[in-house]
Amino acid sequence: MNLEYFLKNEAPSWMSNEGTDADIVISTRIRLARNLDGYRFPRNFSEQDAKQVDHVVTNALLNIRKGKQNFSHFTIKEMPALQRQVLVEKHLISPLLAKKEKSASVVISNDQSISVMVNEEDHLRIQCLAPGFQIFETYELANKLDSYLEKHIPYAFNETFGYLTCCPTNVGTGLRASVMMHLPALALSNQMKVITQMLTRLGMVVRGIYGEGSENLGNMYQISNQVTLGKSEQEILEDLQNVVSQIIQNERNARQSLVKQAPIALEDRIQRSLGTLKYARIMTSEEAATCLSNVRLGVDLGIIKGVSISILNECMILIQQGFVQQYAGATLQATERDLFRAKLLREKLNMENQNTKEKGEEKYDV
Amino acid sequence: MICEHCKVRQATVTVTQIINGQKSERHYCEVCANQFHPFNIDFNKEENLPLAQLVSNWFGLPVWKNETHEKQTQTAQTATTCPACGYSFHQFLNEGKLGCPKCYETFSNKLPQVLTKIQAGTKHNGKIPGTTMNNHLLLKKQINSTRDQLQQAIYEERFEDAAKLRDEIKDMERKLETGGVDTP
Repeated sequence: MNLEYFLKNEAPSWMSNEGTDADIVISTRIRLARNLDGYRFPRNFSEQDAKQVDHVVTNALLNIRKGKQNFSHFTIKEMPALQRQVLVEKHLISPLLAKKEKSASVVISNDQSISVMVNEEDHLRIQCLAPGFQIFETYELANKLDSYLEKHIPYAFNETFGYLTCCPTNVGTGLRASVMMHLPALALSNQMKVITQMLTRLGMVVRGIYGEGSENLGNMYQISNQVTLGKSEQEILEDLQNVVSQIIQNERNARQSLVKQAPIALEDRIQRSLGTLKYARIMTSEEAATCLSNVRLGVDLGIIKGVSISILNECMILIQQGFVQQYAGATLQATERDLFRAKLLREKLNMENQNTKEKGEEKYDV
Repeated sequence: MICEHCKVRQATVTVTQIINGQKSERHYCEVCANQFHPFNIDFNKEENLPLAQLVSNWFGLPVWKNETHEKQTQTAQTATTCPACGYSFHQFLNEGKLGCPKCYETFSNKLPQVLTKIQAGTKHNGKIPGTTMNNHLLLKKQINSTRDQLQQAIYEERFEDAAKLRDEIKDMERKLETGGVDTP
């Protein structure tokens, strides 16, 4: 597969509206950090080491031809900056990898559910993405690939410390499981701060959707385990599963009380956001994210009909600056981006309307 | 050489001054150099601070490498430097990241202090690569956790439980010796 295939404007498979609790949990992500024995960590190894690691890992991955899962390999250095940005926004590579100058690369499966970053902070970062709330299924996918790779690659492993990683916050299982959640009602009722504090005590972290340091754009929160050593994979995943289930329940309750207490105000807010998305001419990414969050809540509550969640998922990805520039086909200033973002959103949401109308007419004809 | 200022004592401090590209060297004794120091630091108190460093502090010049000083730092470093990548524990504490997989072995007695602060424990308790080693390592791990329970039992004076745990450990150790096969 060529790179263009992975840069397409479409929402990848992990953003489809499937999986359990898909109205609240957007996606599940599993990441395994692994290193090769006998090589220094990428932060201070030589260009030659980098090439060898890349070679060994890539060969092992490209030789997998079981079933449908085929992989494509891309070298970061050879990509233009905008393409790297788009891959970051699609969550296929990390911002850190996009900045790498030494032989860093990414190996992506054709359905984009698996991406293996080579020579990021660690030699290998196996990442699996799935739609909805599927922690164990997604881990199984990553675990399978990991078990396959360990037969071909000498992993750095120590009886006491487990899988050895560059940063001691990943050592042990090397496992980071994260769940991306849409929590508008909890955010609206100011409960997120309490939840964040509670989770920190349980060894978990809440981040914004775009990773470490990003704020909670569009009421999207990423909840993941912090602890990787001293607990088994099973325990880590179970703990996260339990916590996320509780948060889902809280969010549902908060939504119910919102509907009960202020139905008109809520509907007003939701419909205004839909109007803004459909007709605005200037859109910052913050406003777009907020409006998309409101419309999504409207769809979940049955207030808005005729807008599909998959379109909203797609828009959530498309409003990021890299995608907006790819859509425009040029590098843009922030103010220009806002114009194109508005145009892009209008097209997406009004197109959706036409589609549903056409479908309705067809039914009439029959 | 005699101090240029007092012209009595032996000059031990060299001051190199560069003004508009003109280099001039002056030689003072410790007492006079002390007087000229803008902050008047009593450098006799910090005896291990080399004089060369004092002068560099004074004019912002680079440190002359003093042989004894170098030796000292070298011996200090060899104690905590990773043989595979040259990383020191000090560097790790500063940057929060390690240099290579070998570092974990090199710093194995210092790392747990750091790990207890950021992790749930200091021992790996999850997946182990490879299938042949699997049984062996699993058993070892089980023995270790049972030993912890045994200590706890003794501490709490539950001696009956402790006896049971002791027998369990013995059983497992026997299994380990016979290669994981369950024979009496």
